[in-house]
Amino acid sequence: MASTQTNIASTPMPPTGTMPASAPGTATAAGSLLVSLVPLAPEALETMLANLSLAFAGETVLVATPDAAPQLSSDSPLRLLPYTVTTVSTTPWILTAADYLNTYKLAQENRASACVLLGAESQTLHPEAIRALGKSALQTDLTTAHYNLGPREGLVNSAILYPVTRALFGTRPRFPLAIDLGLSLRMAERLAAVAQRFTAAGQNDAFLWPLSEAAIAGYSIAEVNIGPRVLPQPVTPDLNTILTQIAGSLFADVDAKASFWQRARGVQPPYPITQSAPVAEPPPDIASMLEAFRFAYTNLHEIWSLVLPPNSLLGLKKLSLLHPESFRMPDNLWARIVYDFILAYRLRTINRGHLLGALTPLYLAWAASHLTLISSGTAPEKHIQDVAVAFETDKPYLVSRWRWPDRFNP
Amino acid sequence: MWQQVELALSQSAHRVLVKLAIFLPALVALLLALIILTAIGAGLAALVRRFLTAAKFDERLARNAIAPISDWSPANSPTALIARVVFWGCVIVGCFIGISAADAAYPGDSQVSAYIIPYIARSVGAVLILIAGTVIARFLERSVLIGAVNAKLQYARFLSLGIKWLVLVLTAAMVLDHLQIGGAVVELAFGILFGGIVLTLALAVGLGSRDIVSRSLERSTTFDPIPVDPDFKSTPTETLRHF
Repeated sequence: MASTQTNIASTPMPPTGTMPASAPGTATAAGSLLVSLVPLAPEALETMLANLSLAFAGETVLVATPDAAPQLSSDSPLRLLPYTVTTVSTTPWILTAADYLNTYKLAQENRASACVLLGAESQTLHPEAIRALGKSALQTDLTTAHYNLGPREGLVNSAILYPVTRALFGTRPRFPLAIDLGLSLRMAERLAAVAQRFTAAGQNDAFLWPLSEAAIAGYSIAEVNIGPRVLPQPVTPDLNTILTQIAGSLFADVDAKASFWQRARGVQPPYPITQSAPVAEPPPDIASMLEAFRFAYTNLHEIWSLVLPPNSLLGLKKLSLLHPESFRMPDNLWARIVYDFILAYRLRTINRGHLLGALTPLYLAWAASHLTLISSGTAPEKHIQDVAVAFETDKPYLVSRWRWPDRFNP
Repeated sequence: MWQQVELALSQSAHRVLVKLAIFLPALVALLLALIILTAIGAGLAALVRRFLTAAKFDERLARNAIAPISDWSPANSPTALIARVVFWGCVIVGCFIGISAADAAYPGDSQVSAYIIPYIARSVGAVLILIAGTVIARFLERSVLIGAVNAKLQYARFLSLGIKWLVLVLTAAMVLDHLQIGGAVVELAFGILFGGIVLTLALAVGLGSRDIVSRSLERSTTFDPIPVDPDFKSTPTETLRHF
């Protein structure tokens, strides 16, 4: 694998599989783990530092924080590394290119061998979860957090991010855009190299996709269940803007890494499905979602027909005629729609901003279908896994049309 | 009498033949210049395309992630865009050279190119305005349509069509003005049409958004702060989270 050309100084790394491992209970070598925090409120920072002290009791851990840190007692295991945030993030609810770059620079300067990057509201993380992330970071190149979300939360992740990442890059973690990560130094270096391309272009708030980077580099990937956590929500409540941002970033990443995922093989083993309490009633938003979809069907049909093949348009037509209680978008139809949008993004069939805007009502249709299904007793995770399998099954279609876009497509 | 008629006819025929003898070489010169420059343009475009393809220009541009040029390029390729610009640039230069050559074929006192070249330049400008206007109209139409549909505005299609025709009418007026056709009539017609469309849209949006506007005004005129109950705990009425 060719290394990425950057102006970041390269750090000699131990070969794969020889990452220093710390057994539970043993003291970590001084400065071996760096915990990087994003800006937190003073009370939240105090809670966070207390949690870190509990998580790494008896070990020495470097804590990078951009906030004014309180005085720590001499017996505290934490060594604070204040740093200055150069630009205020417009998307503080997610990790951005600047966060990855800062973390790597601090890790390199302080000779840390692994990093734990914690996103906003990290004070709500349980100390055990932080410890698990830190431990995994010392053993694995990339550790992502697995969140226990409610059945009606993280729908964009379930609909697009997770199935696309899993199907194309053959990775298993459930949250490709997790905001709590464990990184080996070489993984942090790789991500910093990617981040630097964005920051050099003035895009400090660009999103990075650690899973696809790790998959391309052939690095080890792990997932840690971190239990309950308050997940920060976007500052802008406008779904269209945020979906455009996230889906656009994912599609661009898919476009940039086409040479890898076209070759990548492998179907992920079934995910363990946790039994969650059945959702009794559909939330009131389903009606407005369906209304949005039907309204879009009558108005955006012309634009969709530029992107979607006739078969998908027929599927949407049938969908638009369904009653709310029986509204169900087939998984293969949704997979085909997302793949066709990825293709249109690559081919620039229409302006990319328009393309991503036209995806929003279709996503709402999927969300309405998902919520209707889980309200009928189906476990949410089962449906999400079924969707992911549908994406894996339909991957040959994407590969084929990626290579031969003009081939006849019914 | 008959001799005078015969003389006049023969002189007329002579003048026609002389004009034809001057015009035909001028036309040949014009066509020749156009064909040669078109061939040169095609060659240059092919060369540029081959060079940029070899240099992986598209990939480099995409990798830099700061490529607004790609959004304007045909069929997803900035290389194709540059090649086309080179080709059509040569064709336009060919037009100018051809007209100059045609002008040179006329006697010294003729100033055909002095009239035609500026008008051709105006025509090229008008065509560019027309293309830009059409592209902008389509872009704005889709932007407004998608934005309005996502905002669930019931008059989304009407609004997008209004914007499209607004831009198209503006473009048409600009093109005619650029070509100096119509004069004051175009300005007057444009003013009436443009004003009419704006008024129609304003009425449609105003009437359609009456409730939204009144709610907004009510909110902005309510100055009394609501007393805060310290024991009050907000209950999440909506648990749906997309992110």
